[in-house]
Amino acid sequence: MVVEGLYYTKEHEWVKIDGDMAIIGITDYAQEMLGEITYVEMPKLDKEVEAGDDLAVVESSKAASDVYAPVAGRVVEVNPELETRPELINEDCYDTGWLCRMETSKNAASGLMSSSEYEEFLKGL
Amino acid sequence: MKKKLAVGTFVFEQAETEASQSALYEKHIALTNKSHIASFAGYLMPLWYSSISDEHNAVRQAAGMFDCTHMGVLEVTGPQAEPFLNIISTNDVSKLEPGSAQYSYIIDAAGNVLDDIIVYRREKEKFMVVVNAANEPKIKAYIKGLLAGQVIIDADNPGLKLQYKPDVRDMRDTKSGKDCRVDIALQGPASVDVVLSLLKNQKDKDAIGNLKSFKFIETTIEGIDCIISRTGYTGAKVCFEFYVHPDKAGRIWDLILSSGKKFGVLPCGLGARDSLRIEAGLPLYGHELDGAFGISPFEAGYNWAVKLQKEFFIAKSAMQNRAQNYNTEVVRIEVAGEKGVRPVRQNDAIIGTGGTCIGWVLSCAKVADKQIALVYVDRDSIKEGVAIGVYYVARNSGQVQNGKKENVGKGERVNADITGKGLSRFARF
Repeated sequence: MVVEGLYYTKEHEWVKIDGDMAIIGITDYAQEMLGEITYVEMPKLDKEVEAGDDLAVVESSKAASDVYAPVAGRVVEVNPELETRPELINEDCYDTGWLCRMETSKNAASGLMSSSEYEEFLKGL
Repeated sequence: MKKKLAVGTFVFEQAETEASQSALYEKHIALTNKSHIASFAGYLMPLWYSSISDEHNAVRQAAGMFDCTHMGVLEVTGPQAEPFLNIISTNDVSKLEPGSAQYSYIIDAAGNVLDDIIVYRREKEKFMVVVNAANEPKIKAYIKGLLAGQVIIDADNPGLKLQYKPDVRDMRDTKSGKDCRVDIALQGPASVDVVLSLLKNQKDKDAIGNLKSFKFIETTIEGIDCIISRTGYTGAKVCFEFYVHPDKAGRIWDLILSSGKKFGVLPCGLGARDSLRIEAGLPLYGHELDGAFGISPFEAGYNWAVKLQKEFFIAKSAMQNRAQNYNTEVVRIEVAGEKGVRPVRQNDAIIGTGGTCIGWVLSCAKVADKQIALVYVDRDSIKEGVAIGVYYVARNSGQVQNGKKENVGKGERVNADITGKGLSRFARF
């Protein structure tokens, strides 16, 4: 499942951009691949990252998957629910399973895929 | 740790090949999302259908079915079959009655474990040998080398040639015709009910009802020739494997699934196969056997499968030496594993009561709200019920920057991230 209006990376992160704020999560494809998610290592608050830097680690019983920052910026909020309920990512990765919020620059979406582009990308996998 | 190979011992380099579809591939894609199918040992295999934990629980509480058609199946026949197998494997084939199977090893003259196997004696002069999928090309090449007299069989006497030359054929090769066999496993307490429901004839039903561990029968289901053995790789006390023609595997799969429905049978993928064998304490070649540490059967806890009293077998002198000199062993441990606890992984460090590293994790699986790990540690350093710690090694560069070590050496002092305790070496269900 791909949600319209979000931006996507080839590493299966999604970003919702609203002005200079970006909400970040992993896609349905990513959570399907990982299976039952049991642990999320969150980014530290105020951490400054460049696009492509390590942001978080999502772990299932079978794999540890790095989550890369889809945009450059500063982490201003992390999803507090995921510490005890990492399964929210499996249940609703685009909503309650969001990972963190970042303050980012303008034009953050440049270089990211639109929902239709991501859908095409998934077909090619 | 690189293994030392003595001159003239068997060396095999496996060619990289594209993953092929297992005999049951069509069944898998009908039952699960394609993203849950991965390449394993050269085959496209399901990691899970519903979820690893549901499938794990099905095997413990009801039954689960596994595609094991990727496992290698070889046939060894003729008057020289028994002495041949008795020399190339470590257990005692001469003790095996027709209708019985045994766990064993193939180990080269230098002492390198090439595979763990199950030898089934179908007739006095007819054996079926089941080998790991990942090792099948290597074992076939090794046997070919042995039959051609190109492999050293005695490190102390390199000129010694193997005198037995039985007929060996690949039972998964279509050239084996109607005798072709592939493996489908049905494991768990309800599996016996499912097997009984598939059999028509009372004699077969009685035989299955009374079948002891590592025994098997040969029968038919809907006219399909079938070996049904009381064997498995899940630790389940009640467990079966079906060996059938690959063209008929789909039919048997469907029959087990449909008649197993009311008994709670679930199809299970590689994920549950791994978590079940880890929970039970069973070794996986490359992890708890051989692998980076060159783990021997003695370290893995399987002394009984290496019959040192046999007059001669390949690797006898190497095994006599290994049996007396080993300072490390495989141990089963348990740590917390509820949601929100970071999973323990291969290569994480085991911290003993002295606060230093005593070994490493070989395999780990989440089982309910616990994690069960098989670890490789100093011999007798972990006792059942005694506390141990685990240090998570860095999973990525970000963690390295935050001070996490990528590797911890034996004796190094590090603080444990999570604590747990030693368990018995094996668990039975």
